[in-house]
Amino acid sequence: MQQGKSSSSGSEMQVTWEDQQNINTFSRLNNRFHELEDDIKFAKEKCDNLEDAGNELILSDEEMVRFQIGEVFAHMPREEVETKIEEMKEATFKSLEKLQQEKESIVSQMAELKKVLYAKFKDSINLEED
Amino acid sequence: MSSSSPSGSGGDLSERRGIPAAKFIQDVETYLSQSSLDSNSALAFHQERLQQYKVVEMKLLAQQRDLQVYFPPPLCRLAKIPDIEKCLEVVGTLEARKGTGEALLADFEVSEGIYSRACIEDTDSVCLWLGANVMLEYSCEEATALLKNNLENAKASLEVLVADLQFLRDQVTVTQVTIARIYNYDVQQRRVKQVAPTAITAADS
Repeated sequence: MQQGKSSSSGSEMQVTWEDQQNINTFSRLNNRFHELEDDIKFAKEKCDNLEDAGNELILSDEEMVRFQIGEVFAHMPREEVETKIEEMKEATFKSLEKLQQEKESIVSQMAELKKVLYAKFKDSINLEED
Repeated sequence: MSSSSPSGSGGDLSERRGIPAAKFIQDVETYLSQSSLDSNSALAFHQERLQQYKVVEMKLLAQQRDLQVYFPPPLCRLAKIPDIEKCLEVVGTLEARKGTGEALLADFEVSEGIYSRACIEDTDSVCLWLGANVMLEYSCEEATALLKNNLENAKASLEVLVADLQFLRDQVTVTQVTIARIYNYDVQQRRVKQVAPTAITAADS
């Protein structure tokens, strides 16, 4: 995964170990940011699916519902399935919130680092997405 | 082997699990004279290093994907995290039903698109597929314990793998910056040598 990090030619900047560490940290944060975006997308989809499943359940009037556990579909009474879906929705929603919080924190950390690195290197460094 | 902390201690380790660390260069000129390399050889060396890092990165990413992505049977093995979690769910459901005495009806896939119904009586034991054509019968508690243990191990492997990848990415970044700096230094040197009477210096490289 690559974020633009090239230096333009003709620069006479000295790169200190601290700068290198900042660049490394920025790179790690950027990678983590992309992973989080994927995870958040996945969690949102799961939330939507559970929402749909819950709605379908309300609409249907069958007593025995086939609920997927692992690889098999187990026949379960409706209330049990309702409870399970509620639990899963809660859990997924909580993890989605946590992921979004982490993403926000990473975005602000990256903004800080951008400030520091651009201040030192100005045009010689490119920290934007391609 | 010490693990690297998230705040970039890549410079403290000379290598990690077989991956050599990229040495940070304080000053390009000193580095070039000390290693008695000219710019081109140094560039070639570092670019080759970069390629090697990329190869290892591909390998680690494949391993990580193996641990995290769900494969349906018969490809699934108890080493993958989503598989183990699903197994735990099933065993948990069976355990919950143990006291009630009622059978569990389940539809399972016999082949692609073909499902069959199974009636699972109240039972104390489950069989776990261990891989290599081996399936063992366990009591529900033992099965849960075994699966939880496997899950712990798999999660620990994943953590180590993620740390390896982070270390590797740091080394890739350091190497990329080094390449850029050596290149800039080279360009700078050429300009200095080109002290031409006219004040025009080549703006593009």
